[in-house]
Amino acid sequence: MVKTLPDDMHVLTGSYVLDALSETEREDFERHLQRCPSCEAEVRGLRETAARLAVAKTIRPPAQMEQRVLAATYQTRQLPPLENERFRLLPRQKTVRARAHLFQRTGGRVRPRAHPLDHPRDHPRDRRRLRSPRLIGAFAAASVAVAVGLGITQVSTQHQLNSAQASAAAITKVVQAPDARLETMRTRTGGLVTVVYSGDRDAAVITTTGMPSLPSGRVYQAWVMSPSGARSAGLIAQPRLASQLLASGVRSGDQIGITVEPAGGTSHPTTKPVLVMPLTA
Amino acid sequence: MRERQPDPGAAGGERRDLASLLVQVARGDHQAFERVYGELAGPVYGVVRQVLRDPAQSEEVAQEVLLEVWRTASRFDPARGSGAAWALTIAHRRAVDRVRSENAVSRREQKVAPDMMADVADVADEVEASLEGQRVRRCMDGLTEIQRESIKLAYYGGYSYPEVAQLLEVALGTVKTRIRDGLIRMRDCMGVEW
Repeated sequence: MVKTLPDDMHVLTGSYVLDALSETEREDFERHLQRCPSCEAEVRGLRETAARLAVAKTIRPPAQMEQRVLAATYQTRQLPPLENERFRLLPRQKTVRARAHLFQRTGGRVRPRAHPLDHPRDHPRDRRRLRSPRLIGAFAAASVAVAVGLGITQVSTQHQLNSAQASAAAITKVVQAPDARLETMRTRTGGLVTVVYSGDRDAAVITTTGMPSLPSGRVYQAWVMSPSGARSAGLIAQPRLASQLLASGVRSGDQIGITVEPAGGTSHPTTKPVLVMPLTA
Repeated sequence: MRERQPDPGAAGGERRDLASLLVQVARGDHQAFERVYGELAGPVYGVVRQVLRDPAQSEEVAQEVLLEVWRTASRFDPARGSGAAWALTIAHRRAVDRVRSENAVSRREQKVAPDMMADVADVADEVEASLEGQRVRRCMDGLTEIQRESIKLAYYGGYSYPEVAQLLEVALGTVKTRIRDGLIRMRDCMGVEW
């Protein structure tokens, strides 16, 4: 692609607002925006204009969407505000501030520490916790997808709404446990599996997204694998979209496995796992 | 060609309303979010449908966007733009990301047929007739053909500007300038203030 000279940057305001730039150009332009107040002002006005183009295409959404979204908000943690210069900061908050700055300077590609899993702790067992902002970001995105997914599959009656919220509460307890650790792996056949494990709660939350579709009559089944054998952790309901399972009675040293099994699942794994993930507290 | 009429759709009062509701949402107010949903669900779903076409996929993306509004409400800054623009920016970008992701490879691979251009104009008859719709159409009429087609293909079609250039058989540089000039004219015609 032709390299855009700084002088040509200003003309990209329109294409930027309409999301018509490639990812690289978008990033270049966002960097440029930081030092070009007139571009920034123009972007604001054009963004409002684009919003009118959207409003002009208003379509009444499917009726069931509202209940799903509202239910999903009860399962979704909100981001804290970005740190602001106006507030005096305690020393331990300085990292957050630095990251928030980086976040703004880079146009949002570095996320500020925003997830409960991402708070540094002094406990030695936390040393190996994954702190990659990208992973945490991916997990947050997966959680959103899953929350919506739960809405789709489970929220059709008030009773089911309550049970969806109950299991969401159990999941939240694991995810927010002080010793919770997050691991993400790709399966042999594609798709991402994120496991949040809490040794204190003896439980793991297994989140899958983008797993390849299976022929009819086949399902993905998750397992907790320990020296004494494998125990089913349930079937993955929507492999292609996003699914979440809660496995209890999980000990450090156990492994999470996923296999392809006949519809309805089996009592023991019968095929070579597409994923095996060791858990350590 | 320039009109500066009062704009009930985005009049000060309503705009501030949505902004202050979003501030409440950032504090975890579910009731405020219900009202935000009422304001935004139609435009969010509409613009996502416009880009993605497929109703089921659009519903999924619109849900993600609205949940993202809930999740990131604390990042909305009323000093930097309206609540609608903030949310609809998220919506459009999500829809475009979906188009460009590998899931949408098949859509890209269908080489653009001439009648697809007309198709970009509207998603069926489901779009609600509104004052805002009329105003946008009238202001669109005031653009040159290349300005209008570039904006439609980029925003409603979800095409990148090089794709737009190819579709309209004009130079890349031309598309970039026409999109910008056209949007500036739309902004002035609709009396957008920001």
